[in-house]
Amino acid sequence: MGADTTTDTATDTSRSHVRAPFAPWDRRDLPGSFDVAETARRVGNYKWTEMKLFEALGGWVATVPELDIKMRLGTHCYRHAWHAELWHKRLPELREMKPERLTAPANDAMERFVAAMTEPEDSGLTIEKLVGVYRVLIPRFIAAYTYHMNNTSEITDAPTIRSLKFALQDEFDDWRDGELMLQSLIKTPDDVRRATEHQAALEDIMVEAGGITGPGSIGPVQ
Amino acid sequence: MTTHVTVMPEQFTLVAYDANRIAAIVRDLASLLGLSNPMAVEVDERTPLSKMSAVVAGTSSDHTITLRLQSGALEDTKHLTNFSEAHARRSLGQVMLRAKDRLRPDFADAPDDLALTNAQNTAWDVYCGGRLDRLGLDPIQQGYRYDFRNRFGFSDEVDCVFDQLWSADDLGWHDLPTVP
Amino acid sequence: MRQFFPVEDLARDDRFVQTNMAERMSDTRSAVDLQRTAKSRGASNRLTPDRHDASDAARSLMHGIMVGEIQALEGAGRTAHDFDAGDGSEGTIPFELKLDMARQAWDEARHVEISVKLSDWMGTEIGQFQENTVLFEAACSNDPVLRLAGVNRALEGLAIDVFTQMKEFGQLADDPFLEFCEDWMLADEVTHVKMGSDWLRRVTENDPDRRAKALDFQRVVDKLFSFGGARGESEESPIGLARRFRELAGFTDDEVDTIAGMDHDALEERKEVVRLARETADV
Repeated sequence: MGADTTTDTATDTSRSHVRAPFAPWDRRDLPGSFDVAETARRVGNYKWTEMKLFEALGGWVATVPELDIKMRLGTHCYRHAWHAELWHKRLPELREMKPERLTAPANDAMERFVAAMTEPEDSGLTIEKLVGVYRVLIPRFIAAYTYHMNNTSEITDAPTIRSLKFALQDEFDDWRDGELMLQSLIKTPDDVRRATEHQAALEDIMVEAGGITGPGSIGPVQ
Repeated sequence: MTTHVTVMPEQFTLVAYDANRIAAIVRDLASLLGLSNPMAVEVDERTPLSKMSAVVAGTSSDHTITLRLQSGALEDTKHLTNFSEAHARRSLGQVMLRAKDRLRPDFADAPDDLALTNAQNTAWDVYCGGRLDRLGLDPIQQGYRYDFRNRFGFSDEVDCVFDQLWSADDLGWHDLPTVP
Repeated sequence: MRQFFPVEDLARDDRFVQTNMAERMSDTRSAVDLQRTAKSRGASNRLTPDRHDASDAARSLMHGIMVGEIQALEGAGRTAHDFDAGDGSEGTIPFELKLDMARQAWDEARHVEISVKLSDWMGTEIGQFQENTVLFEAACSNDPVLRLAGVNRALEGLAIDVFTQMKEFGQLADDPFLEFCEDWMLADEVTHVKMGSDWLRRVTENDPDRRAKALDFQRVVDKLFSFGGARGESEESPIGLARRFRELAGFTDDEVDTIAGMDHDALEERKEVVRLARETADV
């Protein structure tokens, strides 16, 4: 199906009382990179990862001594739970009547990544906890959500796009919050070493995983 | 000359307070405030509340000043039933400042501490608080401000009166604000 | 990260000093008049602005609210974390319950923010008073249903009582922030109690024994949260029992009567302990 179907109708102004179904400023188009099954798979990966993230944030609240960070984690915990709920509700609309079936990590490496990210528990490891979430996982969410939003059909998959936009807004806000918290905690060369070494270790696993939805998270696999 | 100080009880049973330590703080504060009267400190250890009062037997320097405090006024609020040097210095400093005020002729009309209204009590506390601050005893000004607002109202005008009271050093009883 | 997190390991900065219920109750001083009986008349201990120590008492209670909210935040976060999503059996909880716990974590985080701001407004420093960790203890059970009973019904029920008292305090004092903030928090707490009641009923729908066990646990926690009668319908109790808001939250009259009875018993037991301690100490 061509992408020009909207153009002709939009410019037909011979009868002034008849308006074109797509206004001149509405440039949305039909083509998209994902069919229903692929969209459901991705959404299932999103839901699983958002779940793991909100569980981790909720669990860590009791383990961080910094009061401002404790409160931020509690706030962010809900935002990611809400994203998980959005994806949970989207799955049946994508022909997956048993959402739990697709609520899964993209691959084993992704599961290992979450295990490694959630490993720090000691009260002295706030830097490691925040690095995993705000310097590794959330940037990957922003990447995967952005790629999905920009490549799915703007018309057939509008409900997913709407949820992606809501989620992305939160991800950007949380990323900024997390980066500010980290910059305020990282004060010495040793802090820098801790942050970068932990980030590198987690990035290794994330690269192996290929991102939130596995290889192809941000474009076709070369 | 060292101020004569007695503390009752001499041995505490419900709280971990030391009468000698309390006496030493009172002597130190007396020196700081220029008070040479004999001091009798009575601590009610049966209650965790923190009410305080000062009774002055007369206005000359050899009249005994009796300081009555409930145990909460000397307590470490992070470790209940334990003594706090800082809290004790602030509480004793406050009640001793009141006693010192009572030695002045222009405080002759002040009712007994336990007969003061809540507003009178708070206004006098604020007048003492500002002076404690300048003596370096580190009272929490915002706490005094909140007390004052609770008694006199939450308004900018009331805050201005508070600021004047806090910075004052030479007021008489009739200079203290009253509830309109 | 461990699945279950013990109360002793709660992370705090250096300003905070923690205590527990046993330590707290070992303090045998009392602000209560021991000569007075529950039916006798006399000066009220209710936390109102006309008390001579009103501001001090309100500050102390506000600090208690702040640390209580921190623990409620930690408890809700842990319940969102500790149990896998499932059908409610074998240590799982429904996915939607996890979502509600995450929502509660956000609400409690806001309550901490509000309490910190109010403490500042009232002239209290963070960590100025000791922190009783009894609230988090109610959130440590390995059975999520007991957590619902202990946290959402007992702890959040207590929060309804405390916020109602503080709201009235703000109203009477004409404090422009206190009443406003307490009313907002009260609305959240009523929601949390309703949420807990609904989930308790749904998760134990086909398991009456488990439900009975949870309600027994709630009674134990409710009695603890009476704090020796500091909360109760007697005028000797600084904090009243907020019947109207408890009813809004779904407590039945019988349930509120039971709590009132436990509060009364706790007050009388506490007075007896204090009386005996004073006789022993001979003061």
